[in-house]
Amino acid sequence: MRRTAGLVLLALAVFFAALAPLLRWYAYPRLAKIPAGEYQTMVLQAKNATLLDYGTMTARTVPQVTIVQTLKGDVQASERIERTAGRDVVVWDGLSYVQGPDGKMVSKVPERYIFDAHTQEPVHATGEMVDGDPVRRTGIEFKWPFLTQKRDYEYFDAQTRTTAPIHYRDTRDFRGLKVYYFEQTVPWTEVPMPKTMPVQGITPQTVARTGTTRWYTTVRRFWVEPVTGAPVYGEEIHREELRGGTLLGGRAKVTAFAGHVKMREDYIEHTVAMVKSNRTLVLLLTAYLPWGFLLLGLVLMSLSLLLEARSRRPHRPAAAEPAEPAEPRSVTA
Amino acid sequence: MRALIAAATGLAVALALVLTLTALGTPTGKTSPKPLLTTVPAHP
Repeated sequence: MRRTAGLVLLALAVFFAALAPLLRWYAYPRLAKIPAGEYQTMVLQAKNATLLDYGTMTARTVPQVTIVQTLKGDVQASERIERTAGRDVVVWDGLSYVQGPDGKMVSKVPERYIFDAHTQEPVHATGEMVDGDPVRRTGIEFKWPFLTQKRDYEYFDAQTRTTAPIHYRDTRDFRGLKVYYFEQTVPWTEVPMPKTMPVQGITPQTVARTGTTRWYTTVRRFWVEPVTGAPVYGEEIHREELRGGTLLGGRAKVTAFAGHVKMREDYIEHTVAMVKSNRTLVLLLTAYLPWGFLLLGLVLMSLSLLLEARSRRPHRPAAAEPAEPAEPRSVTA
Repeated sequence: MRALIAAATGLAVALALVLTLTALGTPTGKTSPKPLLTTVPAHP
């Protein structure tokens, strides 16, 4: 009976001990993925920002500029690309919609971002674009890989359509979460005019004919939760200028937009809550279950060996049993 | 010999479980019917 129990414990011990590395190194890369049908919105605000008045072509301070970002996963497109890519792919259609204080559109820039569902590496396929311009991304955008490391990453900038390092600065506490702080500075760079302009009748082509060009610089900051790779907070110190040409009436440059863009408070709270929940799921696959199963395997193995050792112990000899009382001898006088 | 069979059984079941789990994978879901926003949402 003891031998059978020992063998069952041994089988269970091997089962759990084997499950630990299998979960961490085989199941985790295949199961921890961005869902293809993800839909996310984000609202960012720049208080007391500078905005160009296209009527007078002068910059003015406005109480608030709002940026609404939407990311929407296209499941059909991801399944189509997966057939040739041979890996799980996510296709995000994004829209950055900028709204002035009067509620009118300032700019809207669509983009299509295609990436590996687990590693976040860009995947190149037809349709990858920013504002209708085909691009070939390198580096990450919007999100860091799972188990983010304390190092610089290559980050794609949609305005310049280029990739540059985003630097790991330090580790911080953000509302109870350990986060890695990353920062990237994009120096003044000439960038294309948005395809959709805020004034009817003005197109990038009509602006180009005046000789006026658009320039942009930004300091991009992200607070990234390292287990999920999800930014829980982001900021940009963003400046845009129109330079040269006849459109500016002899001026060398005019500010088109300048502002310190920050996430709206309710979106910060929502993002932190979502990331805390997803973090637990990733930790289950990478730490809690593998370590728990390994420990359980070791305990079961010890019990199995103990039972085996007891079952092999030789039986005690009969002499060890309590001796029967000796028969009384008859005493004769 | 019996110990070897028990250990092999434990290993085989662990492999089968993990392979089944990963083969099933995670649900891909559907493309959301919600639009790309051009208005400021009141809340997340």
